Amino acid sequence: MIEFNDITKSFTSGIVRTDVLKGVTFKVNKGEFAAIMAPSGTGKTTLLNVLGCLMKASSGSFLFEGQDIETLNDDQLSEIRNKKIGFVFQTFNLLERTSARDNILLPLVYSDVYPSDATKRAERLLESVGLKERINYKPSELSGGQQQRVAIARALINDPAVILADEPTGNLDSTSAKEIMAIFKNLHEEGRTIIVVTHDVNIARNAGRIVYLKDGRVEKEEVLK
Amino acid sequence: MKIMRIAGVSIDAVLKHKVRTFLIVLAIVVGIATLTVIVALTQGANKKILQQINNFGPDAIMIHSGGGKIRGPSTASEANLTKKDIADIQDIEGVKLVSPFQVSLDMPVKYGNKFTTSWVFGVESSWQDAWRRGVSKGDFISDSDNEQLSKVCVIGRTAAKDLFGDVNPIGENILVENVSFKVIGILEKRGQSPVGTDFDNLILIPFTTASRRLMNQPLYIAMARAVVFNPSQIKTITAKIREILRANHHLAETEEDDFKITSPEEITRMIKSTSQTLNIFLWLVGIISPFVGGIVLMNIMLMAVSERKREIGLRRAVGAKKKHIIFQFLAESLALTFAGGAFGVTAGVIIAILFSLSGKPISITWQPFAVAFLFSAVIGLFFGIYPARKAAALDPAGALSQK
Repeated sequence: MIEFNDITKSFTSGIVRTDVLKGVTFKVNKGEFAAIMAPSGTGKTTLLNVLGCLMKASSGSFLFEGQDIETLNDDQLSEIRNKKIGFVFQTFNLLERTSARDNILLPLVYSDVYPSDATKRAERLLESVGLKERINYKPSELSGGQQQRVAIARALINDPAVILADEPTGNLDSTSAKEIMAIFKNLHEEGRTIIVVTHDVNIARNAGRIVYLKDGRVEKEEVLK
Repeated sequence: MKIMRIAGVSIDAVLKHKVRTFLIVLAIVVGIATLTVIVALTQGANKKILQQINNFGPDAIMIHSGGGKIRGPSTASEANLTKKDIADIQDIEGVKLVSPFQVSLDMPVKYGNKFTTSWVFGVESSWQDAWRRGVSKGDFISDSDNEQLSKVCVIGRTAAKDLFGDVNPIGENILVENVSFKVIGILEKRGQSPVGTDFDNLILIPFTTASRRLMNQPLYIAMARAVVFNPSQIKTITAKIREILRANHHLAETEEDDFKITSPEEITRMIKSTSQTLNIFLWLVGIISPFVGGIVLMNIMLMAVSERKREIGLRRAVGAKKKHIIFQFLAESLALTFAGGAFGVTAGVIIAILFSLSGKPISITWQPFAVAFLFSAVIGLFFGIYPARKAAALDPAGALSQK
């Protein structure tokens, strides 16, 4: 479903060129729970941005459900992000002063069809992450773990093809981290495709397969179960 | 609809960022209120000018004796118009009538033990038609009064009030420079002249009586008022009158007019020239102040964009296109300017009404509302587009990683 073929990404600042991704190749299949293990400074963020269609690669091909992402324009990329990708960020990225419900509904603001049962859906998703009674709470009234659960519900509202999580437990205590990873496992068992990018091997071990990134290249892959 | 959902996001942001909203709306309110007050005041002034021209008579031409003098009526002592002049003017095509009169300014008038000073006019019966003004009570001066040099008078409201108070003046005798006149009528009220003189402080007596008995000017006529059939012909008829008078008075080409002609156009010019500088200044302030509001808007919106980079990044990540971001921020600017416009026009109207309480002429029509609406839209779009485009141009990945 996701195919990275020799993806490179370079940044130029003045006359200095930095090659961050130097030819990354890997695949993620539908229904798979994959972890990308990358220590800080190895191009983890850049890889995630390319994977999330937030930026284009410098060269190589990126096929998403068979579609060549590199040929799409800004608006088309926005649509892919809206319909196909559910983001979960390390810092949750919830809108301040906005209720959990409205945060979850955010992606629907930009989708072409607004389901008539949107609010019900948001409630169900919040229930599935165990926050049913917090629907009107604002981020400042929720703990970190609770905020991340709202963010997961938001990632699911458009029923995306893939959930892309960037250090989803990076800002959480170990108990909350376990809870969040349990949610991801459940989602995987329901048949969802999940990619978690992390530098923490304990988190990566929750996945079915680990892709190790080093110096802008795939160092090795490890199948866990 | 997607557009309505995004507009909802904008309204939500306006309501959530209260301090920011307050500051921007305040800036726009000041601008639009200033503009509204100025529109109301200048329209009021224009309305007053029109009213004054109507008082003068849009179809009237005044002919004064004596040239090159400052404004104001010519008095009997400087009279140089002749009966032939009047007859010739009457013969011009398009002239409906011409009514000659004598004037004596600030004559002492006495009734019993009460004194006042008043303008005294010697008039013919045609005065009524020339000024479209008759008596509200009693009779006007008749042709036979003129033939017989009768000592009768018609008095204006101000003179009547000054001399008689609540007593009915009709039938009473007043002394004008020690000549006794019997009051036969009271003039209709008229108000102020374009130059601010009281049109109700006057006493009318027969033309002949004025010329011979009071002002000692049996040969010449001080002033005349001509009325034309068609106001659009005022200009050509004015030129014709000038031509005739110059010929009758045997003026050489190098000589200046020894008379003066005042038409409604000249009155308009006269009033407008005095208020023009002030008007230009007012309009300048009126146009500038909403723009200052616009600059405040742009400033604060630019700050908002840089404060909300993460939010913009997040919206882009969950699928907002560039145009959605532009629309969101532009709608936010417009919501703010329209709120400012609505409050501003209300504040402006209230201020204008306060001005009118202190005697300033104002006029409140649909125009200030249209101007406020237009300016709000223009300011919102003009000053809102740059921050909106800046927001949309943010790189989504970079915006998301902002701390």
